[in-house]
Amino acid sequence: MNKILLIIQREYFSRVKKKSFIIMTFLTPLLIAGVYGLIGYFTYKGIKDTFDKVAVVSQNKTLSERLLSDKNISYTYLDESLDEAKKNIKKSDYDYVLYLPEFSLDDPKGIALFGSKQAGMSLNRRISGDIEELIRNQKLKESGISQSDLDKLKTSVDIAIKKIAETGTEQESSAGASTFIAFAAGILMFMFIMLYGIQVMRGVIEEKTSRIIEVMISSVKPFQLMMGKIIGIAMVGLTQFVLWIVLTFAISTVAVSVFVNKDEVKKISTSTQVQPQLTDATQASATAAAGPIGDIQKSLAGLDIGKIVTIFLFFFLAGYLFYSALYAAIGSAVDNETETQQFMMPVMLPLLLGYALSLSVVTNDPYGNTAFWLSMIPFTSPIAMVVRLPYGVPNWELALSMIILVLGFIGTVWTASRIYRVGILMYGKKTTFKEMFKWFTYKN
Amino acid sequence: MLSVRNIVKQYATHLALDQVSLEIERGKIFGLLGPNGAGKTSLIRIITQITAPDSGEVYFNGEKLNSNHIAQIGYLPEERGLYKKMEIGEQVLYLSKLKGLNTAEATKRIKYWFEKLEMKDWWSKKVEDLSKGMQQKVQFVATVLHQPELIILDEPFSGFDPVNADIIKNEILELNQQGATFIFSTHRMESVEELCDNIALINKSKKILDGSVDEIRASYRNNTYWIEYEGDYPVASNDIYDVLQTEKVKANTLIKVQLKTGKTANEALASLLPYVHLHRLDEVIPTMNDIFIEKVKGQHHE
Repeated sequence: MNKILLIIQREYFSRVKKKSFIIMTFLTPLLIAGVYGLIGYFTYKGIKDTFDKVAVVSQNKTLSERLLSDKNISYTYLDESLDEAKKNIKKSDYDYVLYLPEFSLDDPKGIALFGSKQAGMSLNRRISGDIEELIRNQKLKESGISQSDLDKLKTSVDIAIKKIAETGTEQESSAGASTFIAFAAGILMFMFIMLYGIQVMRGVIEEKTSRIIEVMISSVKPFQLMMGKIIGIAMVGLTQFVLWIVLTFAISTVAVSVFVNKDEVKKISTSTQVQPQLTDATQASATAAAGPIGDIQKSLAGLDIGKIVTIFLFFFLAGYLFYSALYAAIGSAVDNETETQQFMMPVMLPLLLGYALSLSVVTNDPYGNTAFWLSMIPFTSPIAMVVRLPYGVPNWELALSMIILVLGFIGTVWTASRIYRVGILMYGKKTTFKEMFKWFTYKN
Repeated sequence: MLSVRNIVKQYATHLALDQVSLEIERGKIFGLLGPNGAGKTSLIRIITQITAPDSGEVYFNGEKLNSNHIAQIGYLPEERGLYKKMEIGEQVLYLSKLKGLNTAEATKRIKYWFEKLEMKDWWSKKVEDLSKGMQQKVQFVATVLHQPELIILDEPFSGFDPVNADIIKNEILELNQQGATFIFSTHRMESVEELCDNIALINKSKKILDGSVDEIRASYRNNTYWIEYEGDYPVASNDIYDVLQTEKVKANTLIKVQLKTGKTANEALASLLPYVHLHRLDEVIPTMNDIFIEKVKGQHHE
């Protein structure tokens, strides 16, 4: 036991003391905050600065109203023919020419947009939306609804989402905030398992290529060496995780309050489709004056953050143990990192699959069958379960998933240690899966 | 102190050790010889408990080998290495703590050894900044630091320049005088004759020869002598000896003769005395190298 502690200590301190660890730990939150800041800034700037000038050539007599300009688009109706307008587009200061032919309201055909530049998706959507609205209003008018009635039709709806907790009290919750946290947790979990799993593999390969392995295992059992390394690196991961959370939170909070005007933040999030979840969150509780960040913070209060963090840490540790044991086995089987590829695939695949499905299927339907099974199978449960967590998971499912995962990692650690003890002493042979299976079956 | 009894070790496709038995006495330097792939490393890995034998037992001081013995064995593998990014002092400290030393005691001993081997200012250097020979010195220190009763060295002199090889050789002899038992695995025979008391020769997973170096060499004598005399008087085979070889060395002549059965060196000398002015007579005792090659080649012909 004492020896495992020594190994854990070495693995931990040799990594934490490295310059690259210190730099990464302090820079990453800055980088993350910086990247999000830039994205936010440019999205905002993009929306503010986008301004398209569209010349409209209308031969349509059915539409009585005209397309309305606003701050992002201007429609100017021309009296020229389409051919002339097209010819003049280079000289004029219009970017595009929109052609509205005569059509029936039920089947508008032949509408075309000409431009010296290719029109982007958002402009396309914008113009077709405007035309659709125009047609809809026209139809409503034809069926006898007055303009004043039409104006009255515009209502905006806020839904306050309340989840009834097990105690029966209503909690203010927000689908947006839950989704945001689910995404963040899923991405973090995926990153951590992969990054630190690969560190375990590198560590094993390093011991093998530097040939210290034989000195080591004449003092300690291979299992102690493997577990010491895995646990030591897990602690490095935890240290980094905690530092990142604290630093990211601190820096983001400061950055948001200093650099970004709160009203603008709100405008961005309601007017873009970049992060629909954020938009939902904002609309769900429009009463929050502080913009989406404050909003999320508010709905966070509705979620049990302490519980989420604790369970996240549990699944991080168990999921990491589950996978890192496999990575250790891979590391032991090869002579250098380039040979790892063929073994990496089968290990990466379930992790990637879990990641992709969790962020799509599970966030769409956190209580469905797929979500349930993904969060039970130990290959995918670390990611799937933390993604489901913010939406609320019954305690029995949580417990079952945890038990399966613990059994799972005991299984992978046991399997890996049997491959590891043979693999670390094998040099110069190209290992195959068949060979690894043979090692597994060796007795001592 | 170490008794290896009927060890068998089978790997997937080949038999690495076939009924190998050895007795190693306390305080001796024991040479484990054999060509590459003979099974030396497999045997050492069993003694260091890296692997376990399929059958047979190893006894350490009369006790069946168990994990308590790890701290009493020091092992310098042939394929050796260190953590490249770690500081030397820290690294040796780590390795010796894994062998059960506490920090204070280990630090004291590391300082002693570093001073002794002129490595004083290496403590905070990184391994990657050291030459290969310097790394070997560090590894040697790490092997003997916990004062093991049994020290196993696999090809200890490979990678050392002559000066450092000599330093290490002297340390080995000194430790041996203080009571440490050594197992030496090598195929470099010069060092065997110089250092080893006893040897075992392993070839093709079997032990084919063992005993004390002197006895083995003596038993391989074949009544052959070098005789050197002044001038170039021609000496031919007669009923006492056969002349195997004649060489001119400056003004002298050197002949290699093999005595016929029942004849002695005295008789040979007596037959020569009337004719030549003798300078010296040496018995040709086969070197371990000769014996090694003869035994191993002999087996290949079978």
